[in-house]
Amino acid sequence: MFGGGGGGAAGGMPFGMNVVPSVLQQGASEDRGEGARMNAFVGALAVTDLVKTTLGPKGMDKILQSTGGDVQVTNDGATILKSIHIDNAAAKVLVDISKTQDDEVGDGTTSVCCLAGELLREAEKLLDLKMHPQTVVSGYRLAATAAAKALEAAAVDHGTDVDAFRVDLLNIARTTLSSKVLSQAKELFAKISVDAVLRLKGSTNLDHVQIIKKAGGSLADSWLEPGFILEKKLGVGQPKRIENANILIANTAMDTDKVKIYASRVRVDSLTRVAAIEQAEAEKMTAKVNKILAHGCNVFINRQLIYNRPEQAFTAAGVMAIEHADFDGVERLALVTGGEIVSTFDDPSAVSLGHCDVVSEDMIGEDAVIRFSGCKSGAACTIVLRGATGQLLDEAERSLHDALCVLSQTAVDTRTVLGGGAAEALMARAVDELAPTVAGKASLAVEAFARALRALPAIIADNAGYDSAELVAQLRAAHAAGDAEAGLDMNRGTIGNVRALGITESFKLKRQMLSSAVEAAEMIIRVDDIIKAAPRARDNPHPHM
Amino acid sequence: MAQANGGSASTAAAAPATGASGRQAGASEKSKDVRLNNITAAKAVADAVRTSLGPRGMDKMMQTASGDVLITNDGATILAKMTVEHPAAKMLVQLSQAQDSVAGDGTTSVVVLAGALLQVCTGLLAKGIHPTSISDAFATASRLADDVLKGMSFSVELEDRETLIKAASTSLNSKVVSQYAGLLAPMAVDAVLAVAVPRPPTSSAAEIGVNGVGSTPGTSIDGDLVVDLNNVRTVKKLGGTIDDTCLVDGLLLTQRAATGGSAGVRRVANAKVALLQFCLSPPKTDVENSVVVQDYAAMDRILREERQYILGLCKKIKASGANVLLIQKSILRDAVTELSLHFLAKLKIMVVTDIERGEVEFVCKSLGCLPVASIDQLKADKLGKVDLVEEISLGSDKAVRLSGVTLPAGVPRTVSLLVRGSNNLMLDEAERSLHDALCVVRSLVHRRFLIPGGGAPETQVSVALAKASKAMSGMQAYCVKAYAEALEVVPFTLSENAGLNPIEIVTELRRRHAAGETTAGINVRKGAVTDMAEENVLMPLLVISSALGLATESVRMILKIDDIVMVR
Repeated sequence: MFGGGGGGAAGGMPFGMNVVPSVLQQGASEDRGEGARMNAFVGALAVTDLVKTTLGPKGMDKILQSTGGDVQVTNDGATILKSIHIDNAAAKVLVDISKTQDDEVGDGTTSVCCLAGELLREAEKLLDLKMHPQTVVSGYRLAATAAAKALEAAAVDHGTDVDAFRVDLLNIARTTLSSKVLSQAKELFAKISVDAVLRLKGSTNLDHVQIIKKAGGSLADSWLEPGFILEKKLGVGQPKRIENANILIANTAMDTDKVKIYASRVRVDSLTRVAAIEQAEAEKMTAKVNKILAHGCNVFINRQLIYNRPEQAFTAAGVMAIEHADFDGVERLALVTGGEIVSTFDDPSAVSLGHCDVVSEDMIGEDAVIRFSGCKSGAACTIVLRGATGQLLDEAERSLHDALCVLSQTAVDTRTVLGGGAAEALMARAVDELAPTVAGKASLAVEAFARALRALPAIIADNAGYDSAELVAQLRAAHAAGDAEAGLDMNRGTIGNVRALGITESFKLKRQMLSSAVEAAEMIIRVDDIIKAAPRARDNPHPHM
Repeated sequence: MAQANGGSASTAAAAPATGASGRQAGASEKSKDVRLNNITAAKAVADAVRTSLGPRGMDKMMQTASGDVLITNDGATILAKMTVEHPAAKMLVQLSQAQDSVAGDGTTSVVVLAGALLQVCTGLLAKGIHPTSISDAFATASRLADDVLKGMSFSVELEDRETLIKAASTSLNSKVVSQYAGLLAPMAVDAVLAVAVPRPPTSSAAEIGVNGVGSTPGTSIDGDLVVDLNNVRTVKKLGGTIDDTCLVDGLLLTQRAATGGSAGVRRVANAKVALLQFCLSPPKTDVENSVVVQDYAAMDRILREERQYILGLCKKIKASGANVLLIQKSILRDAVTELSLHFLAKLKIMVVTDIERGEVEFVCKSLGCLPVASIDQLKADKLGKVDLVEEISLGSDKAVRLSGVTLPAGVPRTVSLLVRGSNNLMLDEAERSLHDALCVVRSLVHRRFLIPGGGAPETQVSVALAKASKAMSGMQAYCVKAYAEALEVVPFTLSENAGLNPIEIVTELRRRHAAGETTAGINVRKGAVTDMAEENVLMPLLVISSALGLATESVRMILKIDDIVMVR
């Protein structure tokens, strides 16, 4: 729409006298200078506007409706951004940084997108004043360094004090959860997620934490199970409870191992011979079962089906046999019980069995599950989520996952900063102080940077339906007066001491948010040319489609 | 509308970049539209089921795409078949399903409540109250309501069969099969009590408490008995009337006795039942095989061998002492042949084939037997002992009844319910209603509190909340008051559906409750307000408390949505 394709448009024309030779392939297009910048800004700002209403404790949710008719309700910026259709290069950059934020720290995906968007909005104004993009970028860089320094100086580290650190973690969990669907039961979930993360003992491998969703009950009925839960059933007539379990985890076919030669067949001349072969096949299976039993296991878990005959043999041996465990289940089970996934059974000594104290069948809601408690890996635990509807459970899982990510990252980098707009106001103040010392036009960009930082608390206040201009002005004044702990109290719609309110965020999260947003904004500002490749031609058998 | 503004980011990206203020106003305008749109869609769903609420509620006839017809009064079933498109409407459908899985009953009430709450939301939103303020106030109201409900409930003992039957009847009275409530209610109570077993020790709250992690699991269940409704099997057979519905002590198999045309055994007393997972047919290998016949004599020999082979199997079965065989269905080869049936008939052994693999566990649990996968494993200790196994005629159809099962102590029992009906529509509806009644009794076993029905709890909560709202201030007071008013939709609809004057009844009800008569409710038979406890209109606390909780939760979720985005 912005005169798109100065070069490409010529592609289809016949060769004439005054036509600029077509450099680009037919169908490709190019946007130059002002047009390109405009295009990039508009795309990025549209994405920002889409997600910004989800920010903060009173942020709104979105329904994501897929073409297949599936419905998702979510408040998670990363989930929204990665599901929407985007046909704009700059918008894709924002989606990417939100993904990176999701991978790196797991939360703050909306904030990073909003900050980048606000930086671009400010930059747009400066560019309208005919400031050179490179000048804006250099001003932003100076400001970002100052902001990062201020943030680092304000960070508090309770890593050595176990009790204080736990309080920090609980506060972080509450802050993260308060903007999500879990806010109604946030005390419970803060405790659950902190307990789960502390079990990991500093590891960030969240595979040890399994989340099971069971419809029914309410969110407040969710709980943390120390151990592992497999959503499968036991074989008929097998023991329902085994103590001191030695677990063999396998991925093997438990019907007869067929001769895998193409079109192999046996020719016999009498029915007794057929019966004999059938018998031999059965014995082969029995031999396999015996080999498995020789490992000394009393729980056997197979990723594939276990047929009637082997199941009977396992029952006779008093072994708990679980068939058709899904891939995730098997992998995770191997991880938490310390066993390995086996597919040949010739050498029992080379196989390490998994171990746990008790394996038992239990009921959650309507469904029977198998519970593994006292696993070898003490880190393992399962969070059982209960809730009214599937959508609620899905969203709860996403929220909980975000909280777990942030907490596990905080367990590594134990520094914390204040939330509720306090950190942003603090950085904005540092940047404001820097501005007068910068010589040249870049100083305007530094001031713009401070405005962009203050736009975040403004969005939070807007979403809660409060007068954002008033609150942000108060916040700025409080910080200028030296109250570095002033932030937004969205329950009361006033400025309050956020340290007293316990609104805490991970330092790493804020730091990552700042640097990714600045990088993305810089990248988009410096664009002066967008070249779109021609869409790949499809070999379509139906030309009219 | 949803489609239009959903568009995609590409249409959004094409919007011209006006000033920041203009964009802000546009965005909030849009989110208001989306919210109202969602509310309208959800309310439309609620209105669709509204008329089926209560004992005088109407039924719905539904025609599926394939032309099948279904008549039902069950909210969850109506909504499940409605194939709604709008995302917010879908959330209400899920809401009724959630209520179905939690309490099994009250699936219509929960949707009607949600619709009424959304209705008052439109008014609150129009006054410019922020959605999160409404949402928070509703959460507070729902917590208060739960306390009120607990306060007006009274406990019930499982020995008190009469009261349990009353609760089951209340659920059945609003269904198509209401005239048979007297028959079906005791049956539901007996079935559930029969399968109730002590809670297994592993899932006790204590174990988790000791570890000091997490909270108590399943706080909604506080009884020491658990009921797994999978242990109650409902068998539908066309023919007869609902009067012929009965509770079978033991097991009822829908399969008929396999007789192979010859005079097979149809009745065995003092039976020893074996569940076979292997086939009584000529051998077949997994590797493809072919028997090569070279001359006439060989053919004769093969036939003789087959006879010999099968006779051998049958004799081994006889030797094990089994006289009733249940044979698992096999897709790879014939489970039985004419020949094996013939031999078994001669040996006076009854045969039932086509037992599905999924059924095996239930059958084993019911009969106390173990499945046998190979002939050499067929031993006496794997057989189940049953007093009488017989094939019974049910109209044109037949079934096999196994009664008088001897089970080892401590094993959970199972029961079968045989539902009869004159046509398929009736039969299906009877099964659904019976399921609701079973759920009602189950929730009483899990949480032994009853509450009067007939709109009494909703009115009581409404009156109590209206009173409580006077002690609050600001938006909260206003929203809680609106919440209280919304709850009157249940008594209003009940009287409307019964053809009474709703305004007269509801105001009378409100007056009586304000005067302290907590059990006053609508008596649709007399068309007046009477004491529900005396009328025996009782229901489990769980049904109404979960309906209120779930409806509030869904409404809050819908309120918080400000955009519908089309995605891949």
